[in-house]
Amino acid sequence: MTIASETVSLEFKETLAIEAKGLTKKFGNFIAVDHIDLEIKTGENFGLLGPNGAGKTTTIRMITGVIKPTEGIVRVFGIDVMRHRKRVLRLIGYMPQRFSLYEDLTVEENLRLYGRLQGLSGNLLEERISNSLDRFYLREFRSRLAGKLSGGTKQRLALAVALVHNPKLLILDEPTAGVDPPLRRMFWEHFRELNKEGKTILVTTHYMDEAENCDRLALMNRGKIIAMGTPKEIKRKAMGGDLIELSVDGEIVPENLPGVISVHEISDERIVLVVDDASLRLPDIVKAVESSGGKVRMAAPVHVSLEEAFIKFMGE
Amino acid sequence: MIGEGIRKGLRILPIVDKEVRQLLRDPKTILMVLLMPITVTILFGYGYGGKGAGEFPITVVDLDGRDGSFKFIQELKNSRMFRIKAIYKSKGEGFASVYSGKVYASLVIPKSFTEDLILGRPTRVELYYDASNPNTAQLVMQAVGVVTQKYQEWAAEKFGTFAIRPMFYTVYGPHVSKVENFTPTLMALILQMVPTSLISVSICRERERGTFEQFIMTPVTVIDVIFGKLAAYFIATISDAVLSLFTAMLLFDIKLRGSFLNMFIVSTVFLINSLSMGLLISVFSRNQLQAYQASVFIFIPAMLFSGMLIPVDILSREAQIIAALIPMYYFMTAFRNVALKGWDLWMVTDQLVKMNIFTAVFLLLSMRFLRMEVT
Repeated sequence: MTIASETVSLEFKETLAIEAKGLTKKFGNFIAVDHIDLEIKTGENFGLLGPNGAGKTTTIRMITGVIKPTEGIVRVFGIDVMRHRKRVLRLIGYMPQRFSLYEDLTVEENLRLYGRLQGLSGNLLEERISNSLDRFYLREFRSRLAGKLSGGTKQRLALAVALVHNPKLLILDEPTAGVDPPLRRMFWEHFRELNKEGKTILVTTHYMDEAENCDRLALMNRGKIIAMGTPKEIKRKAMGGDLIELSVDGEIVPENLPGVISVHEISDERIVLVVDDASLRLPDIVKAVESSGGKVRMAAPVHVSLEEAFIKFMGE
Repeated sequence: MIGEGIRKGLRILPIVDKEVRQLLRDPKTILMVLLMPITVTILFGYGYGGKGAGEFPITVVDLDGRDGSFKFIQELKNSRMFRIKAIYKSKGEGFASVYSGKVYASLVIPKSFTEDLILGRPTRVELYYDASNPNTAQLVMQAVGVVTQKYQEWAAEKFGTFAIRPMFYTVYGPHVSKVENFTPTLMALILQMVPTSLISVSICRERERGTFEQFIMTPVTVIDVIFGKLAAYFIATISDAVLSLFTAMLLFDIKLRGSFLNMFIVSTVFLINSLSMGLLISVFSRNQLQAYQASVFIFIPAMLFSGMLIPVDILSREAQIIAALIPMYYFMTAFRNVALKGWDLWMVTDQLVKMNIFTAVFLLLSMRFLRMEVT
């Protein structure tokens, strides 16, 4: 009996790439991360969002084990990071926020060093280095010192190094900070590709448009997770539902329209309604207005940006 | 599977490779490692060995003043072992030159020197040497012995069998040293300053630049880090031991009695000790500035209590206890005995063992306190 239930719980845990419980980090009196719980499934592209100083980097550093939590536990693929860090390291590819490779070594030397430190040797090592050079367009820079590379190329090298040992989980701390927009797009294409290959990705960013690409997000502020879910869910949570914009000739009582939860905004020209489900309710609302003698000039669902949602959460 | 081509165990080699590449690419390191020993040795050589490279400054008191004594003085000059600073006519002047520390010794040629020679009578020369400097005195006496021997062979051929006996008399003058007496100091200085300060920033620089964060995401252990860095910096600084020894020997014709191999081994043991101490500093320093300050600060007690300035034997009991805790003290003692007295290695085993104990303690502490975390 006990064996059976153990197996079940193990199987369940194996589907989790990262599991954090009550994770806390204090620096003196300052609480950088305050009892957060996090469950990231294998194969997910998970985004950690928040303003500077929200505790994203500290959270990530506790997950990678480069700092020790004050409280709580982290498991990566079911392995306790604190207790079995060496086993965890083989599974994680990490790209820190700050460029952390050796600027006085060349592109190829950095790749080779990290390949060797990860335990690669012989043909496998050469193969990985060669693949990395091609995949991240680094071949032409192979003998250049890392310190002499442009910002974008440095980031590509950092990504290549993070992946040199073919990890299952990729942890990226602000990978696109200071990178120009075309390159940012390229980076996200890389991430999507890696994600398709089955790698789990945990990425932090403060670019809200990028975060839309994630399967799920957690919003952090002042060391706490204030919202978690798919981008759509987060927006709905922030607004209390979907938004519909309505422009009507004639008198209506918005609160009586079908599916309306609340009135978000009202003026002479337009009304913005919060409804439980925009796509479902839009035809009903149009019908209801017209049956009460009004004329609908315009009715459309309102796109809510993550930024708006985020600001809404922050305000609460 | 994943196992293919993936090795477990130590990762010292890639670290050594990386560190050596970095060191070779840093012009400051090259300058420090290569130029420091040469510069310091030359400065020391000119500063302390100004009395003439390889030649002992002496004075001659010529009471004879005839052909025989002229010939002897000529022989002294030809030997290239002496620089004759002055030729006096009275013993008093000769003594004074030794007392005042101007020269190491004064050679007196007696009044009847030429006459004794011609008549085939046994005669003598008298050397009044400064005994406060026993090493040098020893060398001067030997050199005088050699010259006298040569002179006697010549005279024997010309005037028949007889003997010239060199007589030695002690005079205590102020401590005058030649540059070889400073060689232990010089070596200690170079072998501590350069390696310690170089390696002392090695770990905290990685923390400061942020490279440590990526580095510790690989399965490296504290053993890999400590021994990898130690090996790399050893490779980079071993040249210091060779360079300073060679510079001293070639440029100043320093007569070191020890075998080169013995001096090299003693130097290497101390070099590794300095590197281990530097690593320990690096483990405890928060930034590069702190590390540099610590490696300079640590040099002060070493200088005071290692016998570099004052012989440890004449220090107070408390000071001797402090000296016992300073690895440089053991190096100074061992190197002095090996280089200047020509002792064999087994005779300085005690010092070598003690230095290695310090090294082991430094390394163990470094491993114990090195945090594989970012701060």
